Amino acid sequence: MSDIQQYLLGYDRNKKEASATAQHSANRLQSGQLKLLRLVGDLGDYFNSEDGAIRSKTISYLAEVLAATPQKVLSLQQRNLLCDFVLSRTEDSEGLGSCAKALLALEELGKWDDGRVVSIVEALLSNTHPLRQYKQQTERYPVLRLIDTLMAKYREALRAHHTETGDFLPRFISYFDGEKDPRNLMVVFSILRVPMTEWNIGADAQELFDAVFNYFPITFRPPPDDPYGITAQDLKDRLRDCISSTPDFAPYAFPALLDKLDSTSMNTKRDVLQTITASVNEYGPRTISLYSITLWDALKFEILNVQEEDIAEETLNGLAAIARTLSQGASGPLNAYLRPIIKECNEHLEDAPTKQSQASARILHKIAQVSAEVTNILLAGVLPTLFLLFQNADTMAKRRGLLEVLIQLVRANVAIYGDWRAPGAAGDQVGANALKEFRGQSLEVLLHGLESAPAKEVSFRLVCLDGLLQLSKARQLLSDDDVGKTIEVLQNVIIHEYSYGKDELKEAAVNGIVDIAHQKPQVVVDKAFPAFLAQLPDSDADGSRSYSSVLEAFAKLASEEKIFDTVLLRLKNKFGTAVQQGSSSTYLVALLSAMLYALNKGEAKLSQSPETSTYYHDIALPLLQRASSSDSSHPSAFNDESTLDLVGRICGLIIRSQTAESQNAISAELYTLFRGTPQSDLPPFNLNAAPETDKTMVISTHLLASVRKETALPCELQLLTTLLAEYAQQPRLSIPVRSASLRQLSLIINKYYSASGLKTCMEPLISKFDLFSSEKLDTQRIRVIFACLKGIVLRSSPVLNTLYPTVLSLLSHPQHGSTVAHGFTTLLQPDDLLTKQNHCQISGLHKQKSFALLVPNITQSFREASAETKPNYLIALSGVLRWMPFDIVVEEADQLVTLLLQSLDLKGIDIVKEATIGTLASTLVEKPKILEEYSGSLISRLLANATVSRDSPSPARVRVAALRCLTLVPEKFRQETVLPYRRQVVKKLTIALDDKKREVRSAAVKCRAKWLEIDEAGDDD
Amino acid sequence: MDLDKDNANPTILNPSDLPSRRRESNTGKRDDGGSGLFDNLIPRYNYLSDPFDDPVSASDSNDDVVENIDEQEIYDLISTIADPEHPLSLGSLAVVNLPDIHILPPISPQSSVSTVVVEITPTITHCSLATVIGLGVRVRLEQALPPRFRIDVRIKKGTHSTDEAVNKQLGDKERVAAALENGTLMGVLRKMLSTCE
Amino acid sequence: MSTPTPMITRLSTLSPPSNSRTWQTAPHPTQPIVATACSDRSVRIYSLTSFTLLHAITGGHKRSVRSCSWKPHTQGQNVLATGSFDSSAGIWRKDDGDRLEHEVSREIGDEESEDAEEYQFSCILDGHESEIKSLTWSPSGQYLATCSRDKSVWIWEELEDDNFETVAVLQEHDGDVKCVAWHPEEDLLVSSSYDDTVRFYREDQDDWVQVAVVEGHGMTVWWVEFEGGKADKHDFRAQREGLQDTQLQHIEALERSGPRLATCSDDCTVRIWRRKPREGANTQNSGMPSIIRSAAIDEDWYQEAILPRAHDRAIYSVSWSRTTGLLVSAGSDGKIVVYKERWRSQESNGTTNGAAMEGVEGADGAAATEETETSPTEWVVVAEIFSAHDVFEINHVTWAKRADKGKRWDGEEVVISTGDEGEVRVWTLDEAVSRL
Repeated sequence: MSDIQQYLLGYDRNKKEASATAQHSANRLQSGQLKLLRLVGDLGDYFNSEDGAIRSKTISYLAEVLAATPQKVLSLQQRNLLCDFVLSRTEDSEGLGSCAKALLALEELGKWDDGRVVSIVEALLSNTHPLRQYKQQTERYPVLRLIDTLMAKYREALRAHHTETGDFLPRFISYFDGEKDPRNLMVVFSILRVPMTEWNIGADAQELFDAVFNYFPITFRPPPDDPYGITAQDLKDRLRDCISSTPDFAPYAFPALLDKLDSTSMNTKRDVLQTITASVNEYGPRTISLYSITLWDALKFEILNVQEEDIAEETLNGLAAIARTLSQGASGPLNAYLRPIIKECNEHLEDAPTKQSQASARILHKIAQVSAEVTNILLAGVLPTLFLLFQNADTMAKRRGLLEVLIQLVRANVAIYGDWRAPGAAGDQVGANALKEFRGQSLEVLLHGLESAPAKEVSFRLVCLDGLLQLSKARQLLSDDDVGKTIEVLQNVIIHEYSYGKDELKEAAVNGIVDIAHQKPQVVVDKAFPAFLAQLPDSDADGSRSYSSVLEAFAKLASEEKIFDTVLLRLKNKFGTAVQQGSSSTYLVALLSAMLYALNKGEAKLSQSPETSTYYHDIALPLLQRASSSDSSHPSAFNDESTLDLVGRICGLIIRSQTAESQNAISAELYTLFRGTPQSDLPPFNLNAAPETDKTMVISTHLLASVRKETALPCELQLLTTLLAEYAQQPRLSIPVRSASLRQLSLIINKYYSASGLKTCMEPLISKFDLFSSEKLDTQRIRVIFACLKGIVLRSSPVLNTLYPTVLSLLSHPQHGSTVAHGFTTLLQPDDLLTKQNHCQISGLHKQKSFALLVPNITQSFREASAETKPNYLIALSGVLRWMPFDIVVEEADQLVTLLLQSLDLKGIDIVKEATIGTLASTLVEKPKILEEYSGSLISRLLANATVSRDSPSPARVRVAALRCLTLVPEKFRQETVLPYRRQVVKKLTIALDDKKREVRSAAVKCRAKWLEIDEAGDDD
Repeated sequence: MDLDKDNANPTILNPSDLPSRRRESNTGKRDDGGSGLFDNLIPRYNYLSDPFDDPVSASDSNDDVVENIDEQEIYDLISTIADPEHPLSLGSLAVVNLPDIHILPPISPQSSVSTVVVEITPTITHCSLATVIGLGVRVRLEQALPPRFRIDVRIKKGTHSTDEAVNKQLGDKERVAAALENGTLMGVLRKMLSTCE
Repeated sequence: MSTPTPMITRLSTLSPPSNSRTWQTAPHPTQPIVATACSDRSVRIYSLTSFTLLHAITGGHKRSVRSCSWKPHTQGQNVLATGSFDSSAGIWRKDDGDRLEHEVSREIGDEESEDAEEYQFSCILDGHESEIKSLTWSPSGQYLATCSRDKSVWIWEELEDDNFETVAVLQEHDGDVKCVAWHPEEDLLVSSSYDDTVRFYREDQDDWVQVAVVEGHGMTVWWVEFEGGKADKHDFRAQREGLQDTQLQHIEALERSGPRLATCSDDCTVRIWRRKPREGANTQNSGMPSIIRSAAIDEDWYQEAILPRAHDRAIYSVSWSRTTGLLVSAGSDGKIVVYKERWRSQESNGTTNGAAMEGVEGADGAAATEETETSPTEWVVVAEIFSAHDVFEINHVTWAKRADKGKRWDGEEVVISTGDEGEVRVWTLDEAVSRL
C-alpha cells in the first residue's frame, strides 16, 4: 500500500500516525528510494477524487512531506515544478490551507526569484479572493502566514510589482476584507503595515487606512482560557502602529479619530487619545502643522471638563506630543499651535480659581516641559496677562488661582533648565531662559504676598511659599541676595508669626528652608542660622519658652547633610552656655532633644570616616563627664533619669560607629563613666552605692548597647550576669533604673555569650537564687527571667527548648501566673536597644523558633488548664502573637481561631484583646476561609467589643480595633455568609455611632457603610 | 464646552481653607508653641516602660472624656461626598458649609431627640441635581449618625429657583425611603458616597 | 399646654421584632391578630394574646411593604391585602380552623419562615406606576382602594375570588397620595396627599367622582381616618342626662353630619372635619346617590376643630377609637398622644382655645378658631408619652381590642404603635381615661 493510502487511512484515525507516514515518505525521498515523480504520480487519482475531503487530505499530505523534507533534496526545477503544481491546486476550493503550508515549506527549501513570488501572490489574489470565502480560520491562517513571509523576505519584489501594476494594491487590500479572527488579524495588520510604511501608496491611502481603521476601536475580549494568548492590547498595539505608520493617513485618521473621541465609552476615548499621540509622534512636523490647531480645539475639552483623571492625562500627553513634534520643525507652526493655547488659557485665568483655570495650569505645565523653546514662548505669552490680572484681582482666591498657574510654569521651567545642583532636560543653556525676564516681578509678587497677606489666608500664603521655593530652585535664576530675602521671609514666618490653625504655613516654611539648604547651603548658613540662634536664649531664666518652635525648626535643618555638622555644633555650644547660665531643666532637655533629633536625621553622616570624626570628643565625652561628675558642670537636670536617657541615646548614637579601639576605651569606663572612682564602689558591683550613682546606670545601659560585641567588658561575664540579676532585684531602685539594669542583662547575654556559653548562661542564676522555683517566685524574679530570655530569644538558641517549657509551666502558678503570662508580650516586642545597629545578635528565624516552641505548647496546656488559670494561657498566647509576623501565624491559624475567639470574652485585660483582634484581622485578610465557619461567633464577639457595655467597658482602642476588624468581614467572607447578619449588624452598630469617642464613631461609620453596601447588588430586579 | 452639565466650571475652594477639627483644638495645644517634633524621639516601645504594667489602660486614662457630636463632625461626614457631576467634594465646591450646619437640642427634657439641620448651597440656582445632592447628604447622615438625631436637609434660602419644592421632597421620609430602594438612584448615591472617609 | 402625667403604659413589645423599619400595623377586624408591613419586603403576623410572631409572609414583593389591610366579613379564611413600593398590591389567603395557631419563635435575621406557606399568595394587582403608599378595604369588603406616588387613587372591586376589576382611577391630586380611608357607613372614599389636600369621592351613576376637597393643612397630609359609626352611642355623648339644649342640639346636628374625619399632617396638627348636613335630606338615605349628577352629590366638609398641639415634628398617624371615641396620634417626634372630646365648660373655654390656637397655622387659622369657638365641645390631651419607641420615629398608631389574659374589662382597647426600629409596641391606658 502506498504512503498516500496509508496517510489517508491514518488521517482521521490517528493524526500522529499519518504525520509519521508523511515523514517516512520524506525520508524515502531523501534516500532516493522514492522518486518525486512517483510520489506526485501516486497523488494523481486522489486529486481527481470527487470527494473534496480526500483532495484536501491529499494536498495536506504533500504539504507535510515537503515540510519534512530537508534542504537540497529537491532540485530547483523540481521545486518550481511542485510550486506550479501547488499553485494550480489553489483553484480547488478544498485544501487551501495545506496549499499555503506546502508553499511555505517549499520556500523554506530554497529562495524564490522575484517573478515567482509575484506570480504566487497574483495566483492567490485571482484564485482565492476574497480570503473570507474560506470559512475555516485554519484554512485562512496559513495563507496569511505565507503572504506575511513573502512580504518580509521579498519586500523589493512586491513593492516593484505594486509600482508597475496600478490595480495591484486595491486588490491586495480588499483581499483581507472582513477578517474577524484575532490570530489572523494580528498577521493581517503586520502584512498591511509593509505597504503603509514602505510603498508609495498615493491614491490608495484612504482604502488602505479604512482597511485597518474599520477595526477601531478594538473591543475584542479573549476567552477565559485562550490558548493563543492574544490580548486585546496586542491587537490595539498593532492597529495603532498601522494607523500611525504613515503621514499619508493624516487626512483620514485625525477626523475619524476625533469623531470617535465623542464616544461615551472611556475605553474608546483612551484608545483614541493613545492613537492620536502615537500618530502625532510618527507623522512628523510638516503633517502635524496642518492639524495641530484642529486637534487642540478638540482635545482641550477633555481637560477643561475633566471627567476621568486618566483621560485628562492621556490628553495632556497628546497636546505635549504635538508641541514636541512641531518643535522639531520650523518655529512658525509651533507658534501657530501655541498661540490659541495661550489665548485660551489666558481667558480661563480671568475667572480663576475655577476648575478650568486649574485645567489651564495643567495644560501649560505639561506643554512647557516639552522644550526650552516652548517654555519660553509660553512664559512670554502667559505671564504678562497673568501679572496684569493679578494686579487687578479683587479676591485672594483669584490671586491664589493665578499664582498656581505661575508656579506650574516655573516647575516646568525647572524641569527644562534644571536646578542649582544639575542642569535639566534642555542641557546647560540657562542663558536662554525666558523666565529671567520675569524674575523680578515674580519674586516681588510672591514675597509681598507671603509677607503681607493676613494669617487666615492659609492657602494663598502656602501657594506664595511654594512659588518662592520653585523660584529659588530654578538654575542660576535668583541671586544669592534674592534667595537670602526668601529665606528671611520664611524664617520670619517661623520665628515671629503666631501659631494659626494647623500651622501648615510654619511647617511649610521650615521644610522650605531645608529644601533651599539642599540647593544653596551656604546662603542658609549665613542667613538663617544667625536669625535662629538669636532666638535661642543663652538662659531661659526669664521662664519664656518661646524658643520651642525655633528650636524645632533649627533641628530639622540637620536633615540636609550639607549643613548637618554646623547645626549640631551650634546646638552643642548653645547647650554649653545654657548650662553655665544655669538654665532650667526644661530648656536643657529641649536642647538635648534637638541634638538627638539632629543626630537621628544625620545618622548617615555619623558613620562616614569614624576615625577622623570628632563627634565623640566634641559632644559625647563632655556629656558623659557632666553626667557622672558631681561638680558645677553637672546640671541638676542630670539628676533625672529621663534626661540621662537622652544623654545616653546621644552618646550611644555617636559611639556606635566609633572604631574598636575607642570603643574599648569607653567600655573600660562603662560603669565609672570617667569619674575616677573605682568601679567596685559603684553599681552593680556595690549593691548599696549612693543613689545618684544608681541613676547613671541608665547611661551605662546605652553605652553597653552601642559598643561592638568584641569590645572587652569591664569585668568577667558570668560575674557581671549574676551581679546585674541581683542588683536589678533591689527594692530601692526606681523603675527606670531597674528597667535599665534588666536591659543590660538582656544585652550582655545577647552580645557576649558564645553560642555554647549561652546554653548555660542562666545556670549561675539558678544555682545562686534558684530562679525558677515556684515557691520563691515573685515579680522581681519574673522580670529577671524574662530579661534573660529576651537576650536569648533573639539568638533563637537551642537552650530555649528547655527554658520555654520551664517558664510556661509557671503559667499555672496560682498567684503570679498572670504576671508570667504578661511577660510573654515582652519577648518579641520591638526594642530600641537590642538592635542590629547596636551590634546585637538577632537571628532571622527567632520569631519562627519561638512560635514553634510556644504556641503548640500553650494551646495544648490551655485545654488541660484549670478554669482559674485558663486566662493566663490566653494572655500569654496573644502576647506572643501580638508581635508575630502573620505569615508565621497563618500556618497554625486554624488551630488558634477558637482560642482567639475565647480570649475576646476575657474581661479586663484589654491589651490582649487588642492583640487578638489584630491577629483575627490579619487572618481575615490572608485566610478568610479559616474564619468563615466561625462567622457567627466572630461577628457577635466583635460587635460586643465594639460597643460599651456596663459590665466590661472596653477602652476606645479596643472598640476601634473591633470595628476595623468587623469592617473587613463583609469584603472577606462570601456574600451568602454575611447577608443573614446584615440587618442585625447594621442595627447594633447604631450604638457605636453614638460612642462617646470620636475615633470610635468614625470607625463605626466606615464599618456600617461597608455592611450597608452588601446585597444592594441585584437588589433592584 | 459640554452643555449636559448644569455648571461645567464651578469655583473651587482650596483644602487648607476648609474648616477642620484640628484648626480649633490645635491652637494653644502646646503651651510652649512647639509642634511636638521631639515627642517621638523615644520610641513607643522602649526599655524604660515597665512591660509588667499594662500600657493600654495606662494610655487610655482619658477614655471617659466625652467628645460630643458637633457641627464640625457633621461637616466632616458630608463635606467629603463627591459632587455627582464633578470629581470634586461638596466641601471644596462650598455646597456644604460649616456655618450652615446646626444641631438643635431636644425640645423637651422628656425627649432625647436632637435635630440636625443642614442647609446646602447648590453651585448654581437652577442646578437640577440639587435634589440628588440633598438626598446624598441626608442618606449619608442617616447612615452615619445615631438614630436619636432627626435630619433636616434643606436648600439654603434664595440659592435655588425651586428650593421649596426640593425641600419638601427631601423632608418626605416616605419618598426618601422609596428612593433608597431604587437601584439606579442608589447607584448614583453610592458613587457620591464612595469618596467619604 | 400642661403636660398630663403619662397615663399610658407599655404592655408588651411584639417579639421577635423586625430588624428593619416597620411601616404600619393592621389589627384583624375580628381575630386577636395583627399584620405589620415591613421594609424588609415581608409582612409579619403577630398574636395579640401571646404577643409573639405567628407567620412571616415573604417572597411576594420586590420592595418595602408599605401598607396592609384585612378584608372584612371573610368566611373560613383570612384575606390580607398588601401594598408595596414595588407599585403592586398583593392578595394573600389563609384558611383557618384546621390548624390551631401555635407560637413560632424565630432567630433574628432569619428571613425565610417555614410558616410562610400558611399564607398563600393568591393574586397581584398591577396598575400603579409607582410606589403604593396605602390601601384599605371598604367596610362591606366589596371594594379595595389603593393610592400611590403616581398621584392616583384606584378602586378595585372583587367580582369573585381573585377576580378584581378596576372600577375607578381617580386623578384629582397633584402630588403623591399618602392615605386612603372609607366612610364606615357609606361608600364614601377619602384620600390625603403630598399636595396638602384631602379629597372625597363617591359613585355617581356607576362613575366615581370627587365630591369634596378640603385644604386646611399647610403641608403634606399623612393620614386620614373616619370616626366610628354610631359613635355618639358610646363616647361622651352617650351620657345625656342634664345636658343643656345647645348641647342636645349639637348631638343631633352631629348625628345628621354623620361620622367625622380626622387628619394629621407634616404641619404638626391634627384636625377634625365635619360634613354640613344637607338641608332637608336626612342622613338615613344619603347612602344611595340621586339619579342625576347634580350639585346634590357634592358635599361640604369643613374644619370643626384643631386638636391641641402636642407634636413638634410631622404627625404620621392618627386613629379614632370605635368604642371610646378617643383619638390617638404619633409621629416623627416619637410621642404618642391621646385626646378626648368633652363638653366645653365655661372656665376651660379660654385655655383650650389657646391650645387650639397653637396648632393653627397661618391663614386657615382664622377659620379654624372661628369653628372651635362656636363648638360646645373641646378636645383635650388626656395622656401622652415621650420616646415611646426610644429615640425612633413612630410611623403608625391604631386601636385594637385587648386579647391577652391581663384584659381588665370587656371591650378594653390597647394602642398599637409601629416604629422605625422595627418594633411594634402594645400600650394600655389607665382605666380613668379609657373606660366609660
